Amino acid sequence: MSGSAEFARPVGASWQARALLGRYGIALVLPALLGLGGVLSPAFISAGNLSNLLLQFAPLAIVAIGQSFVMIVRGLDLSVASMMATAAVVATSFSGADRDVPGIFAVTAVVAIAVGLLNGFLVTKRRVSPFLATLATMILLQGLRFAYTQGAPSGNVPPLLRVLGSAKLYGIPYNALVLLGLAVVLGIVLHRSAFGRRIFIVGGNPVTGRLFGIRSDLVTIACYLISSALAAVAGLILSGYVGLVDNWVGQGYELDSIVACVVGRVSLSGGRGSILGALTGAAVIVVIANEVLLLGVPIQAQMIIKGVVIVAAAALYSSRETSSG
Amino acid sequence: MLTLEGISKSFPGVRALAGVNLEVGLGEIHGLLGENGAGKSTLIKIIAGALAPDEGDMIFAGAPARWSSPREAKLAGVHVVYQEFALFPQLSVAENVFLGSERRNRFGLIDHARTRREAGALLARLGVSLDVSATVASLSVADQQMVEIARAMTRNVRLLILDEPTAVIAGREVALLFERLRRLREDGVSVLFISHRLDEVFALCDRVTVLKDGRHVGTHETGDVTRSRLISMMVGRDLGDLFPPRREVARMREPVLRTERVAIGDRVQDISIELYAGEIVALAGMVGAGRTELALGLFGAMPLAKGAIHIDGARFTSMSPAKAIRLGMGLVTEDRKSQGLALLLDVAANITGPALAEVTRRGLVDRELEAAIAAREIERYRIGCRGPATAVATMSGGNQQKVIVARWARICRTVLILDEPTRGIDVGAKAEIYRIMRELAAAGVAILMITSELTEVIGMADRVIVMREGRITGEMPGSAATEEAIMHLATSERAA
Amino acid sequence: MTAALAIRAAVPWWLRSNAALAGVIVLIGIVYGIGASVSDRFLTLANLLNVIEQTTDLALVSIGQTLTVLAGGIDLSVGSLISLASCLTSGLINGNPDRVVPVVIAVLLLGTLVGLVNAGLVVTLRVHPLIVTLGMGAILQGVTLLYALGPVGRVPRGFSFLAYGRIAGLPVGATLAVTLCMLIALLLRYLPLGRQVYALGDDANSARLVGLRRGRILMLVHGCSGFCCAATGLYLAARFGVGQPYTGVNYTLASITPVVLGGTVLSGGRGGVVGTLFGAFLMSLLNNLLNFMDVSKHYQLVAQALIIILAVSIYVERRRME
Repeated sequence: MSGSAEFARPVGASWQARALLGRYGIALVLPALLGLGGVLSPAFISAGNLSNLLLQFAPLAIVAIGQSFVMIVRGLDLSVASMMATAAVVATSFSGADRDVPGIFAVTAVVAIAVGLLNGFLVTKRRVSPFLATLATMILLQGLRFAYTQGAPSGNVPPLLRVLGSAKLYGIPYNALVLLGLAVVLGIVLHRSAFGRRIFIVGGNPVTGRLFGIRSDLVTIACYLISSALAAVAGLILSGYVGLVDNWVGQGYELDSIVACVVGRVSLSGGRGSILGALTGAAVIVVIANEVLLLGVPIQAQMIIKGVVIVAAAALYSSRETSSG
Repeated sequence: MLTLEGISKSFPGVRALAGVNLEVGLGEIHGLLGENGAGKSTLIKIIAGALAPDEGDMIFAGAPARWSSPREAKLAGVHVVYQEFALFPQLSVAENVFLGSERRNRFGLIDHARTRREAGALLARLGVSLDVSATVASLSVADQQMVEIARAMTRNVRLLILDEPTAVIAGREVALLFERLRRLREDGVSVLFISHRLDEVFALCDRVTVLKDGRHVGTHETGDVTRSRLISMMVGRDLGDLFPPRREVARMREPVLRTERVAIGDRVQDISIELYAGEIVALAGMVGAGRTELALGLFGAMPLAKGAIHIDGARFTSMSPAKAIRLGMGLVTEDRKSQGLALLLDVAANITGPALAEVTRRGLVDRELEAAIAAREIERYRIGCRGPATAVATMSGGNQQKVIVARWARICRTVLILDEPTRGIDVGAKAEIYRIMRELAAAGVAILMITSELTEVIGMADRVIVMREGRITGEMPGSAATEEAIMHLATSERAA
Repeated sequence: MTAALAIRAAVPWWLRSNAALAGVIVLIGIVYGIGASVSDRFLTLANLLNVIEQTTDLALVSIGQTLTVLAGGIDLSVGSLISLASCLTSGLINGNPDRVVPVVIAVLLLGTLVGLVNAGLVVTLRVHPLIVTLGMGAILQGVTLLYALGPVGRVPRGFSFLAYGRIAGLPVGATLAVTLCMLIALLLRYLPLGRQVYALGDDANSARLVGLRRGRILMLVHGCSGFCCAATGLYLAARFGVGQPYTGVNYTLASITPVVLGGTVLSGGRGGVVGTLFGAFLMSLLNNLLNFMDVSKHYQLVAQALIIILAVSIYVERRRME
């Protein structure tokens, strides 16, 4: 209280309710949605639908995890969708046989590393706003991709990737297993490792991070690398799911992953968030989309609902966030 | 002019104010004293309309006052100049002065020429000449404060509240500020002056009120009360000696730290100093002399433009915080909230901070070990918190500062630099920090203390170095330091 | 000291408040230089007018975006609003010349209203404008699709004058865009609320302490942004003769580039609409140049990205601590 003139929030009943809801609400939302789904349509709870749900959930969840790393370190990654599409294009650029899979992985890895480094470099060394830097990267990738495919991508996705993207093991999709592995590993990295601790410190306050002797720049760049890498993985998986090739694989995932993170209480202003949150947020989005689909709700309403969800979720958490501007 | 009766205010878990009475007369300069956490900030916010009291009455200019926003209070004539200025760095001085009360022409549109003219006139009355088209960001801190005060004068101000105004200015500028405030008093303006510097309260204020733990302890005419009485009112006990006893330091032959004509940033021109193990060196000077830049440069947070740093005999032409930490250095920064703390994390994380490697096993953080380390420090320094998992953002300034000092005290081997370590913290925490500093010195660490509080310099320093405009103007042993001598070297004029 | 003051006094205020403007102009000069070496036709007046005409839509939406960015926020609903505006325009007019004026007025009002709603949500829900406008964008797109799932209505021949006509040799649309830009620039300079936009973007905390009405300021900027989006929608309806529900999709992110190129800082508080106008022109000029150089359309995207990276690497964003 050394003269900092922060305004105390009015502590009325409605605010307290909101604070409570913001804190515990998310834990209730998901089961509530699932319950709602069951009530709305028997088709919802069927094993087939649930495992389809997982199939759609995995790619978004993977990207959301990457996005959360970047958001915690006070950034944003708008290039993820473009990265996904690029990975998909790479997947179909070879002969379409399984022997090319290592080659596909290698090329995708190189591209992901390059993109992550570029994003990280622009944000740290050039002090470009993450919004702008990743926007530029997104457009850059898009241009290169279009130039490479001449606007008309063609080719086949190797069967191995198709299995990874759409097949199941005893009813559990392979891509969900990949997601599980990534979530566990990255969860440990973010929440238990020294590196993860540094991410939170730098994201909370980069200046403090520097004064602790942390190489803030390296930490930030690493987060962008993680985001690009995960986007690449998601892109390969999604290409396996979609089967045919498309310059627009993953379209909309950049904003969807941000929404998933926001709904999952990963703060836009940095320093706060969790893997679990990102996963929950992605789940909420996917479940709502699925229910809306099952109800036969037309696309217009889907979009409107999506918009309302975004704003409502953010409004719920705003008692914690410092809303700037 | 202003009467507060029985004002109470509580926040979840904290009772900030309990039945406070305050009375500021017409044309009076009234001082408000209190430790950190005494409730001064809360009280100001209530008077300024930023908060509403839970209980109690406020009467302003003869009418009951229940502001629902700062704007209302402003319209009634209450103006606050906060310690952290509410200025807009990228806008011009003139615009800053008139923002919210813009000077308009007959169409209701802004008259820029008139804005500039009147802003210049207001500042001239304060004795300041500035380029009113310059951006505020380009001004010195003292000039920025003048812009703030000028802004308060644009509307009919009846009560001017100044929150620790002398935290960022000294010497001539303080004298000027006081003169202006006295002139305002003659114009019938009342002033509420919050400060922790007793000398200034005595010099300026007609009466003084002391708050402690949210309660009103007493109000006296400044002519009728002594320093020690005020201190005991603030602290509730006779503090006696705030500063731990000095020890004789046997000087080593080689300095732990030596700078070789370093230049840093815009402000540090040419500094060659030496620090020896076990001594406390105070670095005095005015705001803007370059002391903070020097501290940042020594620690590697700012690059060296010229020169070199020698630590334990090794020469470095560039430094980084990571390197400095490896060399056993530490830096307690000026602004703990925006630089010193990981505000979103807990006490344990803030204490291990730079020493994360110490609690890392195979890449993972050993939380138990970390908590144990933190618990030890909490006990050793009597840090007021519920435990290692307490969020630092909820702690008082004094306790936060203790966490920061504890963090560095643990790992410093060579040099600890402290920049205004006791600014804005309560007397109890101050004493604790002084004690830590003496302990560290006794253990062989060289301490460089940047401070603007001359009592601190005189009370703590074994040696005093004075800086002015990026250069060293003089040095003296602690025992020979007097306020006058230091101010002379800091400003090259006789102190007022 | 006085020499610097004298020079500063000599520079007109609209140039002075936007130092990065010089950077854009230099870049424009460079592009012209390259273009001159590629083809003579590049330097002709006809080409210039052509490029100016091509810039109109981007300029209109970017001007609105500049305002929201100046206040420290952003507007991600622009694309959907443009789609809605263009569909409503052509759908409601539906070839009937008598309806043109009332529909134009209604659409502009609607755009402004949407902007006001955005502002209202930001303030009452205490949510970051990025999120609010993102959500609104989705909602608006849904509403647009409710109105029309494909191209809808049509526009009478006279209406396309807006897009293709010339007044005294100058393209109508562009002239209107420039006029709008100037009006907004004057508004920002001479209206107290306008100056407060810069203050809010510069330091929101100080703005609160000083007692600035954040709600009003946000209503101004978002309302103007909505107005500009509606104008863009009108223009596009005039250009294509028909409104399409996905016509605005690319404009959301595309509207950011001219803002940044023109010297407005994404964190707010610095910059202006005049710079954005030049920024939009630069983008069109660049595309024009690449067309002359026969560069594939795909590489134009690459060039766009590179120029963003180049420009922001040179401009220094306002430094916080240290």
